[in-house]
Amino acid sequence: MTGTSFQTFTEAAQGLVNPALQSWKAGGGKVVGYFCSAVPEEILVAADLLSYRMRATGSESTEESDAYFSNINCSFPRHCFNLALIGKFEFLDGVICLNSCDHVRRLYDNWKRYVPTEFVEIMSLPRKTGPDQVAWYREELALLKEKIEKHFGAEITDDRLKGAIRLLNETRSLQRELYELRKRENPPLTGAQALVVMVAGTAMPKEPYNALLRELLDELRQAEGNGGYRARLMVVGGILDDPAWVQVVEDQGGLVVTDATCFGTRTMWKQVDESIGDPLDALARYYVADRPSCPRMYGEQERRSELVRELYSEFDCDGIIGERLMFCDQWLVEHYMLDHDLKEESIPFLKLERDYVTSGTGQLRTRVQAFLEKMGK
Amino acid sequence: MIVGGCDVGSATAKAVLMKDGALLSHVIIPSGTRPELAARKAMDEALAKAGLGSIEAVDYIVGTGYGRLKIPFAGENVSEITCHARGAHWMSPAVRTVIDMGGQDCKAISIDDEGNVADFAMNDRCAAGTGRFFEAMARVLDCGFEGLSSLCLQGENPATISSQCSVFAESEVITLLNDGVELADIVAGLHHSIARRIHALARRVGLVEDVCLSGGCAKNEGLARVLEHKWGVSVKTLPRDPQIAGALGAALIAGEKSSAVRRAS
Repeated sequence: MTGTSFQTFTEAAQGLVNPALQSWKAGGGKVVGYFCSAVPEEILVAADLLSYRMRATGSESTEESDAYFSNINCSFPRHCFNLALIGKFEFLDGVICLNSCDHVRRLYDNWKRYVPTEFVEIMSLPRKTGPDQVAWYREELALLKEKIEKHFGAEITDDRLKGAIRLLNETRSLQRELYELRKRENPPLTGAQALVVMVAGTAMPKEPYNALLRELLDELRQAEGNGGYRARLMVVGGILDDPAWVQVVEDQGGLVVTDATCFGTRTMWKQVDESIGDPLDALARYYVADRPSCPRMYGEQERRSELVRELYSEFDCDGIIGERLMFCDQWLVEHYMLDHDLKEESIPFLKLERDYVTSGTGQLRTRVQAFLEKMGK
Repeated sequence: MIVGGCDVGSATAKAVLMKDGALLSHVIIPSGTRPELAARKAMDEALAKAGLGSIEAVDYIVGTGYGRLKIPFAGENVSEITCHARGAHWMSPAVRTVIDMGGQDCKAISIDDEGNVADFAMNDRCAAGTGRFFEAMARVLDCGFEGLSSLCLQGENPATISSQCSVFAESEVITLLNDGVELADIVAGLHHSIARRIHALARRVGLVEDVCLSGGCAKNEGLARVLEHKWGVSVKTLPRDPQIAGALGAALIAGEKSSAVRRAS
């Protein structure tokens, strides 16, 4: 990829701040970080805030934050909090946590107490996905909207919300177009490159992102593509935001062509329904019930497993790699159940545990290589 | 046709030479800190043992193990999981489950009747069930790595050791020593704790007979007996040195690749 759009995305994915974010700040714009893909970015965008998905990219240690977490806490909040303690998130004007898991929930407690971010909120997402829970989450969205209006002096009208929904739906459909290209026999971008594009979308204002993504799509449609790979792979897991990890997997000769992860299809495989009159209602339905399910939601394992198998055949994959952050309880049982489902259909599956910061790649290389060899690739 | 396999592991480097499908020579040396030097030294010794003057006499060599990317004379590299499967199958064709216990890894591998990997499971960032674990315990118990096996076989009332983490298990061992528990019972207890860990790995791929151990820890007779007792199936002893299974598998793969190249040309 030679165009400037991919370079811009790379810059955005490789660091915490990027030029687009910096010029947004320089123009007086505010940035609000959020911790889970179930936080409605649309409400932030409607308030003219830059919604910024939290990552700990570039973190090297947890030496400061280890005084606030136990050693069986997930490395993701520990790295995030470490960066917060050493001042790397000072560009944030607000942080929104969600009870996505106990580790992130307690990160909120620590953040509120020890980090001087002005606006620190936590949202409560229900665990079940029925109409009662949708109605309940709608209330939660209305409360968040009020708090944001009050703190940032914004007025979030229904029209502004609908505009934000349209804008983010556009981002999602452009990202799905990107994934469409990965269905080709010779996909024009690798899995690591696709993740760069997805991560960049969580750290930049959406208008320039969409424009750059359109440029990239034009370039990729003409591109020759990657051939000569040993196998087409899918990655299933949670907050995988590190292209370097995917790169290690792909260095063994497999090409990652799709995923079911929180920086991948889970954020964009479905659209928010624009035909629903009340925008908060539309958002509540999307985030609780309609978007691809995540393992924290109750009673939905079959639906998740079904989507994995659908994507697997749609993208003509040869095998699936499951990644789970060490100590993550949401994914604890999920991969084992998925393993059983996939065995029934003779779909090759490799379960991997990882730390948030990619290190000790020897074991990872050995497993992925053996996995490809086992598939006869 | 002469082919070779070189397995540079975390603790030892192994080289195997084969001629027309028969084992010519094999060598096991410590890995040291320079994988490329260990590989070279192991292969040179294997060549000398086989009465071969130089590496030029070898048609093709496959590398494996943690240092597989650093073996200068290997034509290609294959993961040690695939190699152990192939090596164990060659030594004992009825084997369907291989428990490979190396210096820093422990793997359960299920294999088909041709020696191909059907499934595998590997320990996650943990030293339990590896050579490192046994070395650490041998140091605390001052009995030597080889002494562990015979002590384990003597233990009549295995002590309860609940930790499978090497660091915590060491603390438990020290507590037991200070409580005056018999050395043999402590060692047997350690083996039981490792057996639980291996059991969980084996369950993940399914335990199908014949079962064998490979890798350096496979020489621990006491562990094999504890596993047998736990599983109620016999754990077969490989007819050749189980520590060379990976290098042997690499040599077998080198043989296949080399014949394929010859057929093509």
